[in-house]
Amino acid sequence: MDRRDFLKILGITSGTMMVSSCGVDKASEKIIPYVIPPDEDVYPGNPLFLNTTCTECPANCGMQVEINEKVYHDVRSLYPTKLEGIEGHPLNEGTLCMRGQAGLFRLYSPDRIQRTMMRHDQGNFRVATWKEALTRIEEGLNRAKQDGKKNAYFSGRTTGSLSELIDRFCRNKDIERLPEFEVFSYANIKRANEMVFRRPQIPKYHIEKADFLLTIGADIFETHISPVSHSWRFARARKNENFSWYHVEPNLSLTGVQATRRLSLRPRSEMVLLTFLLQTVLEQNERKNNPGITIVRSLPNYPLDEVSSLTGISETDLRSLATSFGNAKKPLVIAGGVSTAHQLGLEVAVLTSLLQWIMAMTDELVDFSQAESYESIGTFKDVESLNEQLDQNTMGVLFISRMDPVSMLPAVFKFSRQIKKAQLTVGLSDHMNDTVRECDVILPLSHSLESWGDSQPCRGLTNVIQPAIDPQYDTRSEGDILLQLLNNESTYKNFLFEKWNKNYGDAGTKEMLKTGYRSDPVPKVMVSFNTLAVSSFVRHMEKPNFNYGVVLCLSPSIRSYDGRSRDLKLMQEIPDPLSTISYGGWISISPLTAEYFRLKDRDEVELTAQEFSLKLPVKVQKHLSDNVVMVQRDLIPVPLTAVDHRSGEASWYVPNISLQKTGVVLPVPILSGSMEENHRGILPPDDDHGHRHDDEEHPRWYPEHEHKDYRWGMAIDLESCIGCNACTAACYVENNIPLVGLKEHLNGREMSWIRIQPYYDANDNFEFVPMMCQQCDNAPCEPVCPVYASYHNPEGLNVQVYNRCVGTRYCSNNCPYKVRRFNWFDHRLVEPLDKMYNPAISVRGRGIMEKCTFCIQRIRAAKDHAKDENRLVQDGEIIPACAQTCPTEAITFGNMKDTESRVYQLAQSERAYHALEELGTEPAVNYLGKRGNNHEA
Amino acid sequence: MKPKDMKEPEYNQRLEQDILQALKNPSPFYWVAVFTCASFFAIGLLTWLYQMLKGMGVAGINNPVGWGVYITDFVFWVGIAHSGTLISAVLFLFRAKFRNVFNRSAEAMTVFAVMTAGLYPLIHLGRSWFFYWLFPYPNQRQLWVNFQSPLIWDVFAVSTYFTISAIFWYVGMVPDVAIVRRYASGIGKKIYSILSLGWSGSKRQWRHYTRLYIFLAAFATPLVISVHSVVSWDFAMSIIPGWHTTIFAPYFVAGAIFSGTAMVLTLVIPMMKIFRLERYITVDHFDKIAKVLLFTSLIVTYSYLVEFSLAFYGGHKFEESHFLYRLLGDYRYLYWTMLFCNSLFPLTLFIRRLRRSIAFLFIMSLFVNVGMWLERFVIIVSALAKDFDPYNWGIYIPRWPEVAITLGSFGMFFMFFLIFTKVLPVLAITEIKEEAVE
Repeated sequence: MDRRDFLKILGITSGTMMVSSCGVDKASEKIIPYVIPPDEDVYPGNPLFLNTTCTECPANCGMQVEINEKVYHDVRSLYPTKLEGIEGHPLNEGTLCMRGQAGLFRLYSPDRIQRTMMRHDQGNFRVATWKEALTRIEEGLNRAKQDGKKNAYFSGRTTGSLSELIDRFCRNKDIERLPEFEVFSYANIKRANEMVFRRPQIPKYHIEKADFLLTIGADIFETHISPVSHSWRFARARKNENFSWYHVEPNLSLTGVQATRRLSLRPRSEMVLLTFLLQTVLEQNERKNNPGITIVRSLPNYPLDEVSSLTGISETDLRSLATSFGNAKKPLVIAGGVSTAHQLGLEVAVLTSLLQWIMAMTDELVDFSQAESYESIGTFKDVESLNEQLDQNTMGVLFISRMDPVSMLPAVFKFSRQIKKAQLTVGLSDHMNDTVRECDVILPLSHSLESWGDSQPCRGLTNVIQPAIDPQYDTRSEGDILLQLLNNESTYKNFLFEKWNKNYGDAGTKEMLKTGYRSDPVPKVMVSFNTLAVSSFVRHMEKPNFNYGVVLCLSPSIRSYDGRSRDLKLMQEIPDPLSTISYGGWISISPLTAEYFRLKDRDEVELTAQEFSLKLPVKVQKHLSDNVVMVQRDLIPVPLTAVDHRSGEASWYVPNISLQKTGVVLPVPILSGSMEENHRGILPPDDDHGHRHDDEEHPRWYPEHEHKDYRWGMAIDLESCIGCNACTAACYVENNIPLVGLKEHLNGREMSWIRIQPYYDANDNFEFVPMMCQQCDNAPCEPVCPVYASYHNPEGLNVQVYNRCVGTRYCSNNCPYKVRRFNWFDHRLVEPLDKMYNPAISVRGRGIMEKCTFCIQRIRAAKDHAKDENRLVQDGEIIPACAQTCPTEAITFGNMKDTESRVYQLAQSERAYHALEELGTEPAVNYLGKRGNNHEA
Repeated sequence: MKPKDMKEPEYNQRLEQDILQALKNPSPFYWVAVFTCASFFAIGLLTWLYQMLKGMGVAGINNPVGWGVYITDFVFWVGIAHSGTLISAVLFLFRAKFRNVFNRSAEAMTVFAVMTAGLYPLIHLGRSWFFYWLFPYPNQRQLWVNFQSPLIWDVFAVSTYFTISAIFWYVGMVPDVAIVRRYASGIGKKIYSILSLGWSGSKRQWRHYTRLYIFLAAFATPLVISVHSVVSWDFAMSIIPGWHTTIFAPYFVAGAIFSGTAMVLTLVIPMMKIFRLERYITVDHFDKIAKVLLFTSLIVTYSYLVEFSLAFYGGHKFEESHFLYRLLGDYRYLYWTMLFCNSLFPLTLFIRRLRRSIAFLFIMSLFVNVGMWLERFVIIVSALAKDFDPYNWGIYIPRWPEVAITLGSFGMFFMFFLIFTKVLPVLAITEIKEEAVE
């Protein structure tokens, strides 16, 4: 072989080898040509926004869906990836609560019912077609007719067009439409308003207009009627320097710890307090021509010391409460929650309405013209009568829609056995739950993000529900199912559009679809006082008895509402704000009770009462009364104590509880290491108010960072923060933060980028500090990273370069705020939850440190946009997910280089301080400390 | 030591034979020992592989305690490595003759300990497979390392230390290898010939050799101080209370020498017994090394006192609460054990009889090893477990992978040491000869 041949062969072989080794199968990705543009104005990378309605709880806030185009399992399609409130929506003003933020966890839940199912003779389910299922229902209805049996339609709260359609369906098919079932039915409040104002309704509370707020047990930030609405209204009210708020409750709630003054009172003693207030207020300022006055005069007279001993509130506190209340110009009283859910709950509600009436502020603050749509909601009494009907074996077909009474009703109702007494039960649900499991036919419902609809959460407001994604499974909307059962050719969408076009016209409908809601003027309602009914009620009012020993109080939970949001996986990952427990149940007890029974956090106790026992670990909770133990009602099988037959309200108390230490210590994920802050510099400094340690010049070895146009910063107003955790939930969804589960929480490896830290301040009051990366100017994390994965970007952010990170964890060790999160494993959301991944940010693999960067993807998008228009980013153009959803606007984000920006202005406030200021980290986050009002001992 | 009545060539011959008999065919006991160590090493490696595949989460570390047993082991092994250089280089420069019986094994120990230590920074990386990103190598994306980071200083300190101590060890061994070559046969002879680099023992070679040896000793001496200072700066350069303190460098260096000296005793005493080297390693030698142990123990104890006094009269709340936690918190039993092992128990060395009791010294060395490991563990873990923000406080309990990898590292270290005793002369023959002449 000569030299030339050798080179030829060499050339050919090496060339062939190179060509053949190109392209690795595993790494190859399908490239989809952009020949046929996708629907509507979709451009890859540009999200679409659609306005619809959140259906996670009955509040029905307006919700904006961010829809992104992305490839999932080789299919390029549109997926909702983030939920936010609709800007300017009358209910929620652009924000959502934590449950609303987690709504995608329901849409993409692995527990969705995907197919129609029917029970066959052996009692097991088999997959059926829609036709089979609907035929079975038709047959059932016919058979019921032959047998002379009744049919019933039993659903959760329904408003708007769907309610009309159900009515039509029921009329047409000879079905009785039962009162709707909601655990939080507010039966006592409705009954009281009926009695006092002749209106069996729940009014809208205009907290923002009040200068004094008294809440009695009402957990207005957690579950009470419309929490998000209450939150922003409260934030507005608080802007008034003279606003003050007393909260009275037998248990301990998130709402309570936010009040200017929180008073614990003995269970059932609310009516004593209210009587005292009524009398004192009348004494203080004479109000003439008020028919309520005579009624108040007829109330039993409690002297101050007796009130104090009956309620357990000190005389000083009672006096100051009465004085503040009496001096207020626009006082508002809201009763609810655990205070209206006992034998004397109706009395509490009536006296509350009376008190409000006496103060003559009813129409302005307590607005019946925009009453909440709760008229059709039934009570436990209605369920009892349904049970009776079932017992008589007269039930033909029973439809159960959008609710889970089997797990929410007390066990004594034996509802799972009862519903079998109907000839045929039809369950409509999007989720597998205990109720549909007992049904004969399961009809899978589309999620509200997959279907059309509307809702009317309160008078004068219509919300649109429109699909953001095609049904992922073989599911249908309830409207479509009913129309089909009515043998109607039309779809529910057409039904709705016909109605909307008729009512609002073509343009009106278009406008409504665009904004997502429609406000119609409502006639002003002037309430009238029903002297006769009230005086007769008051005359026959029972005296409270206190023979209940230790009481178990079932408190509502901000994380799961009445239990329905338990299915949202995110809701367990985020801890309860007061106890910081994430997964599992617990009982809260007072420190004195703990001492008495020698209990520590995580010790298991057995609670026993009549026909009821329960084993749970304890959490010692300061401020809780000694005669009350508290458990979140969604975490345990509900014990029934009593139903008030005047209103149908159930009691949420189990009296005469005995505690027994079992000696077992359970693993409980209490995420907070300690709630004692001990002047460590996380809460506002109480010594030299307004003095900023880090404004002083520090000598630096390295040159100062230069920020040209932007220096991103944040201001967090601790006075506004109510600890509701909406920011945390929003952050999880926006930033693809993994859910790690109970085991990893016990290991101390939760991944949240922002968290709500509860602390006791110098006076033992609760304060919540939202903690996220402080984006320090002099960041301890940056110099220690050997590979520059943690580096200071020109805009002042401590950027984390995920691809460069090798995982030394030194940055996290050195971070005094401990806000960096290490990926201990490859955490992925289980399918199909991973459809919700935000395509604008990566999903981090194992061995990488991750953290908050003020939603850098949003900063980039806004900067790109500004660059297109050849300008700088304006104030308010970038809103990180946490700030966006904060119902009280506690979080403000912006450019600290811009002295006009809101964040800059806030940072100049006297209240501004930095967390752990003395370390000289010079954070970009300014906390605004509370004004003194919470510091009175 | 050379008996008075013995002639020099005769003594030399006996010396060579005595030391080189260790290189004779190994006993079954030796094979069992090597095999056991190798198995531990293999299990450690497999565990590491498992950890890489599953994620760091298989270990017990968490948030806030991001460093645990792995970094403890790293500091421990680097510390062990220290006295090797101290004994061979520093004591050489100070002409402390008693070092001659210890220096070969001490240097071997240094090399193996640095090798073991060097693995830990890799083991503890979240993405071990990218370990090379810690080296400043030119690349097309112009990525560079952060020279501000103490971890980069570590990379340089440890790799420099390894290079120097390996060279120092080897250079010091060349004349001895030449002696082994003389006794070896077959393939062994070839290998030893190559390793001895043509050493003939000529005057010229000796002149150059001693120059080089002094030069290397002088070069290695500052490393004794620098390496462990740099390792201590991993902690001292941070802002964590309990880590952020200026005494860390001398404190860690003293601790390193303390633990290294203990490890020398742990290795040399069994070696001496097994190879019957009592004739050369005498009680006097042990007495002297025990004094080094006592002296460093006193320095370490002083450091403990300084730490606590500073926290006490410094009046800094984070510092105060940290030291209270260290003394009385979750890790108190470990801390008290450490105080006993490192501060109280070594005080017995003031008694001459105990200093000269080989059995006692061996037990003492084990205690010190345990104590020094605990010292690093307590410093690292307790500082992280409760730092500034009480919400983040947590607790760390090691898991089986950390235990397995730690045992694996001991397996690796002892395996190398066992192999060393069979292939290279365990005492510095020429230096003992020299000593005898003087």
